[in-house]
Amino acid sequence: MELLQHFGAKTCAMLRGVARRRVRAPTFVVVRYLKTSEAAALLNVSPNTLRAWERRFGFPRPQRSPGRHRLYTHGEIAALRDALLDGLSISSAVSRAREGLGADTNALVGALNAFDGGRADAALEGALALRSLDRAVQEVLLTALDEVARRHGTDSVQWAFAARWGNSWLRRAQRLVTPAMRPVQIVLGDATRDDLDPDAAYVRALELLATRAGARVLGLSVRGVSNMAEALAAHRPDVVVVAGGALADDAVARWAYAVRLAAGALPVAVYRRGSQRARVRTTGATILPSVPGEAARRLMELASGASEQATPTTEPTARLLADRA
Amino acid sequence: MTGPTRSGRAMLRLVPSTTEEACPSQWFCGHCGAPPPDNRTPAPPARVCPSCGLGLLLEARADVAPRPEDAFMIVDSSLHVCAVSSACEELLAVAETDVVNRPVTELLTPADAEAAGPGNLAAAIMWAARSDDEPRRVTVRPANVFGVRMPLRVGACGPPRAALLVLE
Repeated sequence: MELLQHFGAKTCAMLRGVARRRVRAPTFVVVRYLKTSEAAALLNVSPNTLRAWERRFGFPRPQRSPGRHRLYTHGEIAALRDALLDGLSISSAVSRAREGLGADTNALVGALNAFDGGRADAALEGALALRSLDRAVQEVLLTALDEVARRHGTDSVQWAFAARWGNSWLRRAQRLVTPAMRPVQIVLGDATRDDLDPDAAYVRALELLATRAGARVLGLSVRGVSNMAEALAAHRPDVVVVAGGALADDAVARWAYAVRLAAGALPVAVYRRGSQRARVRTTGATILPSVPGEAARRLMELASGASEQATPTTEPTARLLADRA
Repeated sequence: MTGPTRSGRAMLRLVPSTTEEACPSQWFCGHCGAPPPDNRTPAPPARVCPSCGLGLLLEARADVAPRPEDAFMIVDSSLHVCAVSSACEELLAVAETDVVNRPVTELLTPADAEAAGPGNLAAAIMWAARSDDEPRRVTVRPANVFGVRMPLRVGACGPPRAALLVLE
C-alpha cells in the first residue's frame, strides 16, 4: 500500500492496526518508493538516462505521485541494478529484470492450480513487494486468473477455486483501503452473475482502484431495485457505472431507471459490458477501458467533471426530492 | 618453479612467463561505440555509457573494438543477441529491443554456408565467447537477403565474456 507513504505515520499505524485485527487479512508489504533522483543514484545513472530508458524500453515504469512526479518501486530498480551488474546491455538487463518480475504471475498460477490458498496469498504478497497494489492486481492477480480460465475453462474446478480466492482477496483489500479523500462519489451497479463470472474480479478491481484513487464507491447489485432513493440520498453519486455483462439488459435497465428516478440524470459509464458487445445500446454512456486501472482513471475524470459542473448550480437534496416527487 | 639447492632444499626461481603477450584493450559502449571519458576503466556498478545512456561499457582488444560509427553486435556463447549498436540497427533495419535474446542467425547468415573451421560463423562466435581472444574474420550476409556480402570481425569482449561482431 504505497499510498500509506503519502498519508503519514498516523494513518499507517491505524491501517496496520486494522490489518492486525482482521482474521486472514491480506498482508500488505509497504512498497518502498524512490524519487527519480534516488532511483538514478541507485543505478549510477543520471535522471535523464532513467527517463530515456522509460521511453525506449518501457522499463522501469514509474507510478505518478499526486503531484505527477515519477515514483519508482524499489523492487524494480533493485532488480534492474542486479541485472545490470552482470549484463551485456541495457536491453538484456531490462529483459532479465522483467522476467524476474513475471515469475510472480507463474507462482500465483501454480498455487491456484494446486488449490493452495496460502501459497497464492504468499505469491501475491511477493508481487506486492515489487509493485504497487494497483499494478499487482492488474499485472499479477487478474493475469493469473485469466491464465487459469484460459487453461482450464470457466467450468473447471480450478477456475472455481481461483475465482473465489481472487474475489475474496480483492474484497479483503477493499476493506483496508484508506477512506475517500476526494469529493467524488460513484455508484457501481454490479451486473455480474456471481464470483465465478469472469468479469467479477475485474469489477472488484475497478471498485478497489477507484476507492484507492480517492472516490467513495457504493457497490450495489443491479438485482436490488426497491428503495433506491434511500441509498442514493445517503450517497449522492456523481457518476453511475454499470459493470459486468452477465445479467440481462432488462434487469440492468430497470436498475438504471430506478437510479435515474432517485438521483436524476447522471453521467453513466459502462464497464465490461457490451463494449464490447455490439448489440448493447450505449446512448450517452461512456464505455470504460477494460483494464481496471485505466477504467478507474477515466471514471475519476468523468466523476470529477460531473461534480465540478454540478457544484455551483445543483442543490442535491432539492434535486433528490424533486426527482422522487 | 622449484629447483634443488646445494643444500637440497626446494626454492622458488623466476622463469619466463608462459602466458600470452599483453594486448592493449579498449572500452566502448555496447550501443553507440563511444569510449568512456578519458578512456578510464569504469567502476563495475557504473558501466552505463555516459554518452548515450543506452548501452553498457565493455572491454575488447584494441584491434577488435569498434569505433563509434561502426555497426556491431554482442552475442553470447549460446549464439543469442545481447546488444545491437545504433549503426547496426540502421544497417539491418531492426530495433535492439526486438532482437535481444533472439538467435544471431535470424540477423546474420554465413555467406559461405559450408565453411568449416575458422570461417564458420557459429564456431567463430563460440570461440570468441568462450576461450579464444584472437580475432577472426568471417563473411556474412543479412538473413533473408541475397547478393550482399559483409566482412565480419569476431572477437571477445566483456565482462561478462561474449563475442563482439563488428560489420566492416
